[in-house]
Amino acid sequence: MSILLDRTNRVLIQGITGQMGTFFVEDARKYGTQIVAGISPGREGARVGDVPVFGSVRAAREATAADTAIVFVPPAAVLGATLEAIESGCRLVVATADELPVQDTIEIRAAAKLHGAAFVGPNTPGLISPGKAKLGFMPSFCYSPGSVGVISRSGSLSYECCKRLTLAGIGQSTVVGIGGDPVKGTTAAEALELFHRDPETSAVLYLGEIGGTEEIFVAEYAARGDAKPVAALIVGHTAPPGKKMGHAAALIDSKAESHAAKVAMLRVAGVHVVGGLSGVVKTMQAALSPNMSAVHGATA
Amino acid sequence: MMLEHEGKKLLESAGIRVPKGLVIRPGRTAAERASARMERYPVAAKAQVRSGGRGRQGGIVKAADSAALAAAIEQLFATEFGGARPEAVLVEPWLAIERELYLSVAVDGRADGYVVLYGPRGGIDIEDGPPPARYAVGAAHRFRTHEMREVLKDHEPDYQVREKVIALAQRLTRTAALHDCTTIEINPLAKLGDGDLMAADAKVVRDEWAAFRNRDIAGQLEQAKRRVGRRLRDCLNMQHMYVRLDGDIALVSGGAGMTMAAMDMIAEYGGRPACFLDCSPGPTSTRGYRPAFAMLDADPQVKVILVSVFGGGTQMQRVANSMKEIMAERKSRKPVVFRLDGTNVDQVPAIFSQFGACNHARLEDAVAAAVRLAKGAQ
Repeated sequence: MSILLDRTNRVLIQGITGQMGTFFVEDARKYGTQIVAGISPGREGARVGDVPVFGSVRAAREATAADTAIVFVPPAAVLGATLEAIESGCRLVVATADELPVQDTIEIRAAAKLHGAAFVGPNTPGLISPGKAKLGFMPSFCYSPGSVGVISRSGSLSYECCKRLTLAGIGQSTVVGIGGDPVKGTTAAEALELFHRDPETSAVLYLGEIGGTEEIFVAEYAARGDAKPVAALIVGHTAPPGKKMGHAAALIDSKAESHAAKVAMLRVAGVHVVGGLSGVVKTMQAALSPNMSAVHGATA
Repeated sequence: MMLEHEGKKLLESAGIRVPKGLVIRPGRTAAERASARMERYPVAAKAQVRSGGRGRQGGIVKAADSAALAAAIEQLFATEFGGARPEAVLVEPWLAIERELYLSVAVDGRADGYVVLYGPRGGIDIEDGPPPARYAVGAAHRFRTHEMREVLKDHEPDYQVREKVIALAQRLTRTAALHDCTTIEINPLAKLGDGDLMAADAKVVRDEWAAFRNRDIAGQLEQAKRRVGRRLRDCLNMQHMYVRLDGDIALVSGGAGMTMAAMDMIAEYGGRPACFLDCSPGPTSTRGYRPAFAMLDADPQVKVILVSVFGGGTQMQRVANSMKEIMAERKSRKPVVFRLDGTNVDQVPAIFSQFGACNHARLEDAVAAAVRLAKGAQ
């Protein structure tokens, strides 16, 4: 198994005729993702490769039974496109766009909750269940199938870490980019809960950064008696307070949001905290080792 | 972040009471202009800066007469707060405050939207006092006065103040959503002798991604660009995200998380990062990277440039070709260390061999090389 995404998802692409959409069709198909429809209002009836283009999500769902949407439209159009996908009955909606106003994310998240849909994004490369399907633009060669669930606030950092795991023979069940914004379609807490229930996932790697409050949930999960082992890397110990480090949420606004405070909180909760990028594999191996499961707070 | 007087204007437009202030711009006649127009004393002269902690740095001065006001204005304009001189000084009547309160509305991921924070004792750093009352609103239209009343019950014993705070918080939440604000903080919120509440300060942060639908935000971003040097402005025009640090190894990087991971690794290897520079939101082409190199080459603090990009949507053969072009046209002899990885990285060595560059397979090797070069250059 995996979470949210596997070979059964029937995917439609909103904004299929754009550069990103066209690139994605080829790349995702090569990986095994079922791409069944594209949406481009005003261009219904066209085809991108052999993918039929529809004018609305509803029309595409009726014709193709698509149940999953990925959105490649400009930031100003993301709110409209995601709400359409959610309210037309898609069970999973991914919006990769950065530069989305947080008001829009708040509204999309509320709609997703109301309709029982999963929303991943914004400001994310998407998600991938290695060996099954990908729904985003991460480089495929970084991943291999396995049992580590990965949750990341940063796209590029997740490529780097997954490549290291893959080279070391540690595969991944699903890698979810929850994104770098303060309000998230899927939070770390929700992703952890999904991984917790996934029998194929035996441990979780969390990739976080300074700023925000997401890490509180990671600590809360790890402190549970029935928690799966969790390893975490928090980047930004050299980041100065009060400055936004690229991601909207990567800003040390209070003492609790500093690198030191987060690492201390995670250690106390029993998370295997990685000292730096170079220690990811070693710490993950420690978290996966049954003999080590009682040793809390292992470092690289 | 808006200046205090801009924030107060926004609050006033939402029907929130603010002091009647006078905005004095810098210039030779600033002090005269202020004292000519103030009739009643004492007044508060407040430095208008876009950073916090102004009060602790002497950015608010009480003046008892026009001579004291003139001196205060001159002194404030000559002082740096958080690395910047004030853009203006706001002169307001000194308020007869009976009690200082704290009220803020801010986006919080845990609330799926906005939270309202209230403290019955304001005027100080809210983190230094007892934890404030916290009402998780969510989307702005979810605000319910009865829910907030329940939250405030144990925090504010005076029911008249409580009701006024609740009404104010509802208005603030709506205003925040309508104007794409991520934070509106009133600290202190002044309870005056007549029992009324007045915003004695305003810290308003707006969401820059909403610039496409908010002319004020777009204008503010343009103004911010005008305040920086030409080379940084060229980078900001390419959507690069830049934070200056105090080291000598500059990063040209992609992705916020990887940029921070590289910064951390530089420190781990005994070096010091010169900046956070994430080029990924802009065009990852020669057009995008050229201003980054122009800025770093001209920065005397930078000894070595480390290009570290791990791309997914960004294709590495394109980045490699951009680097080839830029290295050919570049005059600076500062060493550049490369580490490209990601989509189509297999095409990089052939391109790099055309201009004699080496692509490090591991970030560790690239960082070690950069640290070595930086130490050699000292």
